[in-house]
Amino acid sequence: MSARILIIEDDIVLGAQVARLLEERGFNTEQCRDGQSGLQCALQKRFDLILLDVLLPTLNGFSILNKIRSVKQTPIMMITACGAEQERIEGYRKGADDYLPKPFNFTEMMLRVEAILRRSLHTLQSNTHTSTLSADRLLLNRAKQQVFFADCLVELTPLQFRLLWVLVENRSDIMSKAFLYQTVLDRAFSRYDRSLDMHVSRVRKKLVEAGMPPERLLTMHGKGYQFS
Amino acid sequence: MLFWALSWLTNHTETSMSFIDAQHQQQLLNYGRQAETILRQDGEAALAVWLRALQQKENTWAAVVRSKITPFADTSLPENYLERFQLGRSVEWKIHLYFEENPTMEIPFSDASSHLLIQLPQRMRPGAFLLYAKLFLQIALPLILLCILSFVLYQHVMAPLRKLENATKAFSEGKLDVRVAPYLPHRNDELTRLAETFDHMAQRISMLIYNQRQLLADLSHELRTPLTRIDMAVDFVEQNINPKQALERLRYEASTMRNLVEDTLTLAWLNNESPRLNTDDFDLVELLEVICEDARFEYPNCMLTTDLPANAEITKSSQTALGQAFENIVRNALRYTPATREVNVSLTQSDKCYTLTVRDQGPGVPQDMLSDIFKPFFRVDKARVSDKALTQSAPPSGFGLGLALAQRQIAAIGGNISAQNYFASDGALLGLEMVIRLGR
Repeated sequence: MSARILIIEDDIVLGAQVARLLEERGFNTEQCRDGQSGLQCALQKRFDLILLDVLLPTLNGFSILNKIRSVKQTPIMMITACGAEQERIEGYRKGADDYLPKPFNFTEMMLRVEAILRRSLHTLQSNTHTSTLSADRLLLNRAKQQVFFADCLVELTPLQFRLLWVLVENRSDIMSKAFLYQTVLDRAFSRYDRSLDMHVSRVRKKLVEAGMPPERLLTMHGKGYQFS
Repeated sequence: MLFWALSWLTNHTETSMSFIDAQHQQQLLNYGRQAETILRQDGEAALAVWLRALQQKENTWAAVVRSKITPFADTSLPENYLERFQLGRSVEWKIHLYFEENPTMEIPFSDASSHLLIQLPQRMRPGAFLLYAKLFLQIALPLILLCILSFVLYQHVMAPLRKLENATKAFSEGKLDVRVAPYLPHRNDELTRLAETFDHMAQRISMLIYNQRQLLADLSHELRTPLTRIDMAVDFVEQNINPKQALERLRYEASTMRNLVEDTLTLAWLNNESPRLNTDDFDLVELLEVICEDARFEYPNCMLTTDLPANAEITKSSQTALGQAFENIVRNALRYTPATREVNVSLTQSDKCYTLTVRDQGPGVPQDMLSDIFKPFFRVDKARVSDKALTQSAPPSGFGLGLALAQRQIAAIGGNISAQNYFASDGALLGLEMVIRLGR
């Protein structure tokens, strides 16, 4: 079942381009040209993700965000030409899951769309998760939130545990930063935000102290992180 | 004070106007002497005739009386009293002008018991002008004085206010360099403070406007280069000349422009709002290490060494602002340091602040440009284009926004940054040193 995405964007050309690109990746899309119809569409039908422009005729993007949030928890990504930090902060505080400032490149947009969708699907399937993971000498116990490397206990904070879990669970796959931010840190990725990097560095240090070779937790520059 | 002076003046005037004119006094005294002479020489009848004539002439009554004082009931009068006894007023005394009736004057004869009594003739009554004098002193004079005072005060206050109004009008019409304080010398009061505040505000606003204009002009200018290249690449694609390379060029220039716009927006936001970014608490060493790791990957040919303590907690800061600033500075350092040389990052701490130093081994910056490098869109090699001494080819240095952003970001988290060249002990230039100070 492919994900359904609603695009609320008043720029006809841009809206059509985004819809085309998403459909080529296998998503179902629907477009609305102004705020009022967009809001109605969002409330009446079910979507997996909403791409919402801020500067819209008839109804401002932020107020649409508020109205949808008061009823549904659909992930919402805001797109806008106002990229200054203040607008970004406001967007997050009001409940947007991500914020994509124009101009954006489509690869990046795809990355973030996929990151959000993966996260929301993840939470839907959380009951069926296993409770332990092992990879060579590394053992993770989810129920007790404990990590052992070669039988040596490694102290990690809950956030660091979650990060390691996601990396080990997707072993040998490169996890993009956008995805990791959504799943582990529960927020959108911004270019100069180094919190994820700092957490990875801490986790790596602790595992190395316990005896793990540092190359197992790889930094793929420009792409993300990988546990091998 | 004024009222006391006026009151004194009024009293004094009234007093001085209450005396009988000297000439008149003399006339009265002469009458007395005349009367006495006539009595002694010509007898009582002649005196009577003279008296009648006198009364007619002066239109008043006159009399000559004899007095005899007889103390009784076993009392006695002091000598000096008897000597000076008078029935009427002496001519040199004051007249009470508030009595309508004229007083009775006396001119005593040489024997102390005969007296010429005459009611003061109307023509001799002083104070004819008293009414006018009173009016003048009590109403007109204070009125005039008050008017003068008000006028002076008004000018004293209005003149600077008028200047302020003119200055404000000129400023709002676009003359941004108008100032008020230099035109208000010789005074030190609330109005000078107002003038100073106005100047301060004018200075700040004109700086802001100037900076905005400059930024806008610079940004438009900077966008032209990538736009030209994009045009060219589009031509190439149209004419099918090396389309793949042209497309890569298009991708690259688009990304360049995107970065330029985003950086300029951030710079403008930092400039206009001057926000204080103080929401993050984190370990400074971790942040620096992570950024240095990335930098090492990006510039594998240079050596990036670090002298960092095990940890350095910092509170009420902003991890994104500091991260971006530091990244820019380290990238700059690496860009200007030739391959195989070293860039060093070190962190020291004192009670109150952290000092982060980034030293490169590049060509440094001319002494007079050390503060210019933090201006938006400033590039040392652009400024040195005419300088023939530039023999080594400097690598492309980005837009020139990195350091401008870094300075404002560091200011927004409550720190400061400065640049200087550093030298070996023999005076040889070793490179450029950036020092960032942050409160803990």
